[in-house]
Amino acid sequence: MTTVIMRTTARAIVPIIFVVAASLFVEGHNLPGGGFIAGVLTTTAFAIIYLAFGLDFLERGVLGRDVEPGKESSRDRLVVAYRRLFEYGLAIAVLSGLVPLLFGRPFLTQTFLVFEGVPIYHHVEIASALAFDFGVFCVVVGGLLTILSVVGAE
Amino acid sequence: MPPELSVVLAAVALPFVAAVSTPVLFRVLGERTGYAGVAVALTSFLLLATQLGSEGTVGLAWIPSLNISLRFAIDGWGLLFALLACGIGTLIFLYSPAYMHGESSLPRFYAALLAFMGSIVGVALAADLIAIFLFWELTSLCSFVLIGHYTADDSSQYAARMAMFVTVGGGLFLLVGFLLLALVAGDVLGSEFAFNLAAMLENPNEIADALREEGLFLPVLGLIAIGAGAKSAQVPLHFWLPNAMAAPTPVSAFLHSATMVKVGVYFVGRIRPMLVGPEWLFLFATLGLTTMTICAILAVGSTDIKELLAYSTASHLGLMIAGFGFTSIYGAEAGVFHLFNHALFKAALFLVAGIVAHQAGTRRLENLSGLRHDLPITTAITAIVALSMAGIPPFSGFYSKELLFEAAVEARHVHDIGVLGWLYPAVAVFGSIFTVLYSLRFLSLFFGERPEELGHVDRPSVMLLVSPAVLAALTALVSVDPEIAVHAIVQSGVDATAVDPHEMHVGIPTAYSPPVGMSAVTIGLGFLAYPFYGRIHGGVRAIPELIPPIGANWWYDTIVDGLTDGGAWLAARIHNGLLRTYATWTLASTCALTLAGFAATATIVPTHLIEFDAPIAIALVMLVAVMAAVAVVRSTSHIAGILTLSILGFMIAIFYILASAPDLALTQLVVETLILVIFLLVIEEIPEYYEVGLGRVARDAVLSVAVGATAFVTVLVTTDARPAGSTSIARYYAEQAVPEGGGTNIVNVILVDFRGFDTLGELAVVALAAISILTLIVMRNGGDDE
Repeated sequence: MTTVIMRTTARAIVPIIFVVAASLFVEGHNLPGGGFIAGVLTTTAFAIIYLAFGLDFLERGVLGRDVEPGKESSRDRLVVAYRRLFEYGLAIAVLSGLVPLLFGRPFLTQTFLVFEGVPIYHHVEIASALAFDFGVFCVVVGGLLTILSVVGAE
Repeated sequence: MPPELSVVLAAVALPFVAAVSTPVLFRVLGERTGYAGVAVALTSFLLLATQLGSEGTVGLAWIPSLNISLRFAIDGWGLLFALLACGIGTLIFLYSPAYMHGESSLPRFYAALLAFMGSIVGVALAADLIAIFLFWELTSLCSFVLIGHYTADDSSQYAARMAMFVTVGGGLFLLVGFLLLALVAGDVLGSEFAFNLAAMLENPNEIADALREEGLFLPVLGLIAIGAGAKSAQVPLHFWLPNAMAAPTPVSAFLHSATMVKVGVYFVGRIRPMLVGPEWLFLFATLGLTTMTICAILAVGSTDIKELLAYSTASHLGLMIAGFGFTSIYGAEAGVFHLFNHALFKAALFLVAGIVAHQAGTRRLENLSGLRHDLPITTAITAIVALSMAGIPPFSGFYSKELLFEAAVEARHVHDIGVLGWLYPAVAVFGSIFTVLYSLRFLSLFFGERPEELGHVDRPSVMLLVSPAVLAALTALVSVDPEIAVHAIVQSGVDATAVDPHEMHVGIPTAYSPPVGMSAVTIGLGFLAYPFYGRIHGGVRAIPELIPPIGANWWYDTIVDGLTDGGAWLAARIHNGLLRTYATWTLASTCALTLAGFAATATIVPTHLIEFDAPIAIALVMLVAVMAAVAVVRSTSHIAGILTLSILGFMIAIFYILASAPDLALTQLVVETLILVIFLLVIEEIPEYYEVGLGRVARDAVLSVAVGATAFVTVLVTTDARPAGSTSIARYYAEQAVPEGGGTNIVNVILVDFRGFDTLGELAVVALAAISILTLIVMRNGGDDE
């Protein structure tokens, strides 16, 4: 799969996918999108990188680390990082739900703030649900990438 | 006088508390833990004895929302049974340390024995159907542990499994009976009394009438009879009881004499006032007399002293069931009084059997006789209790057997039962002849010539003798003056089980009556036949060898082996480690169940399939999707297949866009892309081409069509049920999304604001999936290393 066409395409589209994913995540509260979709899209970008450059590219080419051959895939540093990502994501989601308890509101209560007159954007709305959605995003990305890289390494 | 809740609760809870603390007790007391058991059992006994004469219900709320509570009813019958369990329990604990000296796993033994006693007291006093069932099954569980005490011994494990299988299985029938009964009682008495047995027994006629009206009378009666019959070893489920002799002797004495096996009899007596009638008479009198006769005959065929006693127990249980089966007052008197007498003499007999086995080192009948010189006190004890078992006047068993004969004769005066009116007394006499025979045979252990090969037999220690001596003394007391027992407890037991209680009188008959004649015939024929015991014994043994299906063990073995083989066969078919097999069976059964569900509820209406109207754009997109699906099947290479599959997925995304669901469309697009990429990642590993047989293709085709049809029908049915216009929920979300959640994307607002908890659950699912895949692959690698 690691053909020249594939690599060239991947170089062009992967950054675009990341930007789209970020925008889907941020505007999810008001337009189609959200943590789940952004997470799946981000995972797709990683999958394309794997497809175009091979499984070790991220470690060797991007992070500049050496890869020990024959190491168990589940012990791989990247897999550990992915695993952490979804663990943290789950923690973020739960903690963001616990915060309202401090203010005497039920578990998972959400609220939002509206800022007017912000430069360029003029009208900005920050929803507390964004933190929860970020947890969703992390779990989806971490979970899917763990599965993908472990199964892919087989 | 109303009962005291604290006292009753303490009496029931104490054995359980003691059972839990047995390991600690054992560390402190060692083998003397048995004497701690004596203290516990005696305390429970005395606590319950303070409640003698009181009547009423006390209870704790347990599951108020379902109207289930931990309710205890105190009356003569429950107290009689609970006191027997605690009283005989005390003697068993007194006997155990000497008998079980030097055995292993004693903490487990005593813990199970204590819990066993507690659960029997629980059954005796509980007045809530669920509580009764709970204690009922607890007795089965404890007996399983006790019968299987010798864990290294195969026959002990076999017997324990069998007892568990039969009694717990019977208990399930009982549970269904209880639920039906609760259903009817809830209608008649109000739902707060649905499980309240005490309330049902206060209104027996209303419940019985309602049961008959609903057509549930016979099912409830039958289900309870199966449960009680399995527990009380009634034919044809009698075979587990003789096998249960694999348990240590103190357990046998407790299990066979006083308690667990009598739980069934006890419960039949308990509900007798409510369900008694012609069907009751026919069912229980026939069942009881059949059991009594068959097990008495089998007892004569036994070669082991414990086996003989075990069959005799089953036979006497039949006698009690038959007693309760007869609807006259004599029936109740026979059942209650014989339960009392049998507990005393059978416990003593088992303890004697234990002494003989312990001292002489063998339990085979043919090797044992003439022990009176070696064991003089034991001989005296045995003489009293064995003659009581035989029903020889003036020993205690005689009185209760007389009552049974009386009830059997009386039956045809109460109900019009035709030839059965003559058959019942005749069978009762016939069975009793064998009772006399095996009782004499047991007694002959101590008389006659002493065989040479027996060797030296030591005197038993005092601790082994105390318990049977106490029981024999009580038996002797009841024999001399049965009215003492009647006044103390039996009369109040009869009051609770009889429909129209009378004052009860027992004593040596002074004038001729049919029961006296029947007793004379029984005893006379028994003694006349005794010289031919060897031939009768041989004859009884020969029959099951000639025709195996007559032996109930044969049926049990055949069924259990059949189930085992069937299970193995089934497992090899559907659990063979191949993913495709699992997928086949899971999909096929899911489809079958779903379609059957739709068919059963008549949800599929064929006319709906014809009326459809869709915009031309949607129809076009769907047409492309269908064509892509066909192309997937027809594609020859994997790459082409995956790419065409993606066409299908993207068409569905377009369908979502057309149906104005942009969020769904976006998700579908992204997921579809990811799946395509993943497929491309793994495709290199898949072989280019499979050789597939025609049969497998056909099977897969059938399965695919079934899955597709199921999905199609499900979608059709579920979308068809959509309410016209927007529902109140939909309007609520649409109106509240901006003011409450601050987002104009309702789907996302629902996901994170309104139904955040659902999303959190889904996150947990994603995390779990990742962890399980990680674990699966790590474990597989670990397995390779080993």
